[in-house]
Amino acid sequence: MLHPESPVTGQTRMDSAWGSQTGDEDVHAKVTQASVDAGQIFEQEYKPWNGTLNPRWMRNWAILRHHLLGIVFKGHRPWGVVTRIVLLLIFLGSLSSAAMVLLSGVVGDSTLASMWGINRENMYGHVLGFFPRNIIFYPIIAAILVGGMISEDRSNGTSALYFSRPISRVDYTSMKFLSIAIILFFVIDGTLAVYYFAEVLVMGRGWSWILDTFPMFLLAAFSGLLLAITYTSIGLALSSLSKGRFFPGIGLLAVIMGTKTLAAIIEALFDKTILYVISPFDCIAHIAQSLMSIESTYQHPWTWSLASIVCINIGALYILTARVSTLEVTRE
Amino acid sequence: MVESLLIETRNLTKSYGPHVALDDLNLNIPHGATGLLGPNGAGKSTFLKTMLGLIQVTSGEGSILGYDIRTEGEEIRSKIGYMPEYDALNPKMDAIYQVQYSGELLGMNPNIALSRAHQALEYVGLGEQRYRTVETFSTGMKQATKLACALVHDPELIIADEPSNGLDAKAREFMLQTLENTVRQGQKSVLMASHLMEDVERVCENIVLLHKGKLAAQGKIEDLKAIDKEVEIHVWGHATKMEEGLLDKGMKVRREGRVMRVRYQDDSTYHTILSTAAKCETQIRKMHDHEASLEDLFLVIMERLGYDVKGSEALLGDLS
Repeated sequence: MLHPESPVTGQTRMDSAWGSQTGDEDVHAKVTQASVDAGQIFEQEYKPWNGTLNPRWMRNWAILRHHLLGIVFKGHRPWGVVTRIVLLLIFLGSLSSAAMVLLSGVVGDSTLASMWGINRENMYGHVLGFFPRNIIFYPIIAAILVGGMISEDRSNGTSALYFSRPISRVDYTSMKFLSIAIILFFVIDGTLAVYYFAEVLVMGRGWSWILDTFPMFLLAAFSGLLLAITYTSIGLALSSLSKGRFFPGIGLLAVIMGTKTLAAIIEALFDKTILYVISPFDCIAHIAQSLMSIESTYQHPWTWSLASIVCINIGALYILTARVSTLEVTRE
Repeated sequence: MVESLLIETRNLTKSYGPHVALDDLNLNIPHGATGLLGPNGAGKSTFLKTMLGLIQVTSGEGSILGYDIRTEGEEIRSKIGYMPEYDALNPKMDAIYQVQYSGELLGMNPNIALSRAHQALEYVGLGEQRYRTVETFSTGMKQATKLACALVHDPELIIADEPSNGLDAKAREFMLQTLENTVRQGQKSVLMASHLMEDVERVCENIVLLHKGKLAAQGKIEDLKAIDKEVEIHVWGHATKMEEGLLDKGMKVRREGRVMRVRYQDDSTYHTILSTAAKCETQIRKMHDHEASLEDLFLVIMERLGYDVKGSEALLGDLS
């Protein structure tokens, strides 16, 4: 029997197929017809929708959800696998202080507890300790997060998706900013809260201890918030300048590390700390040291660092808003 | 402002420093499908941005769907579905979620937006492909996804910027049919910017032609075609004599062999043609009104504006 798709190409093949007969019979070769592309049944029907559109806050919530839930769920902003893994690793790494508190509690060693337990230096260190948190953890996660946040809208043209809808540029920028700041805040201050409350639970701290240490916790959390805001504003400003992910990421690392390195060289050469005012990290560290009454490692007044960090944020936000205002709806 | 008009502008002017992008535009665009035409730099993009309420006009006023373009941009963009010319989709997202998100950006509840996204993608022919990422789509499928994004909230007006750009014949046909259906079946208005005359003629009843920021022509295509109405005759014998006879009587004649086109002036044109033929002993084997194409119409308009153009490609491309 012929295979349905076997081509019948000529007499020779027919003879071969029917050769057991005499050739005089009234026989017919059954050849399957070539399949006909009948298409698919498709009836185009316009379906109206008479619903009501929600107000501005719902639209802004949609942008925020899109970016935040995308880290965990499908159907929202597709964050890369590497980003998710790095975020998870850094989050777990940031929980190391809480883990040490748990270990102290389990072992029951008071030396360990005093070394890793809650005090102003350790809380400062959780947020603004240089190694590994502010040389590896927080700058890297900030760089990975901000990379494509605005630049991808420019390169993919998805800015048109926002601005052809009732989304203002202020709302767009604010929600993008909040998305990154919330993730950073969660990693920095969320783990700080876990660290603090792990001590309360594991060491069985009472209300008096909480009342005594909670203001310090709040000041450390405020410093963490300042760090998250500053890294976000610098990172988003760089993202708004670019069409790719690499430049904003590496740019942010260069700004954070480069300014600190330069200031450190000047300090080593001239024994002057004033140049640390150009380093965002050092400005926040200096402010935090003053707020938390920790011995300062800088010679200049902390208000200079405060003024500097305000200027850095204003400058970054100015670049960000100026660049966002150039995002086009029609062709660029 | 007249409520029944889709778009109305009065002395609308938009300047960027010394450059006048829109120059004293007075438009009256009715509901239905309208083609927006013009060469590069004519002001089409500025016009669209102005209509979306994204840029402030320098002077004049305008309304779209009854909303003031100067003060009610947010309301306007809620009522409009905009389909951009270039890629405006996240390549890593599934089409369904892309359309859902565009609905959420309008203020739709996420579940309703998802439900509408299914309907919109089904409508644009991507029902089976809706869970594929946009990066795996062909150009036609991407265009269809953009249209679905524009249709997700059932807008009163769809602004489609070059909807058939880069599409093959089949995809182009489907896109045009979809836009036609949206107008006829969905009772929606479409403002379609395109450089393809055939596409505009197929979908739209009205056109607006911009040139150097000024309004070159507007109105119903049928009405505009009347300015270039000709009578086509197929003759046999003494064609040259016939042509000369018509020219002597002040008629405007274009001839190619035995086929002549005589500019229609009034109903006496037919009598003039027949009497001239009788006088020249020329047989007229066929005579009918010649329906000008949109392309012909633009050549006439540009000729009147003082430009010597060979066709729409020159008209919409290099002319400046």
